Amino acid sequence: MTVRQLLVLAALAAAPAALAAQQGPPTALLMRGPEVGRRAPDFALPWATKDTVGTAGAPFQLWKNLGRVTVLAFYPRDFSSGCTAELRTFTEQFESLFGPDVTVVGISTDSVETHQRFAASLGAPFMLLSDPSQAVARKYGANGDAAMRRVVYVIGKDGKVAYRDLRFGALDPKAYEALRAAVREARR
Amino acid sequence: MKLAACLTLALAAVAAPLAAQDEGLALGSAAPRVAVPDLDGKPVDLGQLIGKQPVVLEFWATWCSVCEELLPRVKAAHAAYGDRVAFFGINVTVNQTRERVRRYLAQHAPPFRTLYDEQGAAVRAYQAPITSYILIIDRQGKVAYAATGADQDLTAALRRIVGS
Repeated sequence: MTVRQLLVLAALAAAPAALAAQQGPPTALLMRGPEVGRRAPDFALPWATKDTVGTAGAPFQLWKNLGRVTVLAFYPRDFSSGCTAELRTFTEQFESLFGPDVTVVGISTDSVETHQRFAASLGAPFMLLSDPSQAVARKYGANGDAAMRRVVYVIGKDGKVAYRDLRFGALDPKAYEALRAAVREARR
Repeated sequence: MKLAACLTLALAAVAAPLAAQDEGLALGSAAPRVAVPDLDGKPVDLGQLIGKQPVVLEFWATWCSVCEELLPRVKAAHAAYGDRVAFFGINVTVNQTRERVRRYLAQHAPPFRTLYDEQGAAVRAYQAPITSYILIIDRQGKVAYAATGADQDLTAALRRIVGS
């Protein structure tokens, strides 16, 4: 078999995974990030809410949230159109998408000061975390060139990945329906 | 070693489009032909028009301030080309209701026929990255223009694609 044939085979093997499901082993080869059922990597990041900016000594730490369902929403930029659509929907449909016992955090490269303004503009009832170096985004396969990619994880009460969408469609109603169903399942 | 490097490059090449998730359709690509319901739930088959006449598609929402800024340019383009080009405004339906959309239409009177993409079929097919995303599909059914933002000069784009 020639090198050219091997290259074509590799591309053909990878393409369906890239274009179709966002979960499962073949995609993991391309996207990295923990698969469903794997332990979610711990991290600590500075945060802001619509009302305040967290102190440097008290970052948000994922594993301190064990026992609660946690949604991690990586997104490109505060105040951009797609991110506003996504986080506005999270805000306005918080109860039906998540519920009061679920921790939701948005994560981008923006500063906590920008996050605070963005969260205030939305009236967001959740934290926004600042990951300027994309160190955490890399752990979750959400890092991009200039900004993070739009990626959503649902972390179960046991700290394992219960669901992930490695290409969350901010304008796609079905993406929200799938997330709603995944959160409902994880809360059981 | 060489072979391993080649395979890695091949996989990276396949992965690249995934990373470019906010890009939209490539210029020159064949426009997808999907059916999207209008506000009354009646399906509108865009495939019946695509490839027969130029088509403008704008993905929008009532909460999209950029779309509102863009509206005068859309109206100007429609005034110049509405007799030769089909204009559709595809409401993305995220955080929308039909009532909210109807109120907006009554207030702002955009010049396009409004479609209500409740299942997200058009958003997925046209890879709409954000609202204010406008596509111009030429008479051959190819994507001739794809852009976002408030400062799009649609009239100039249509002049280039459709002619004076």
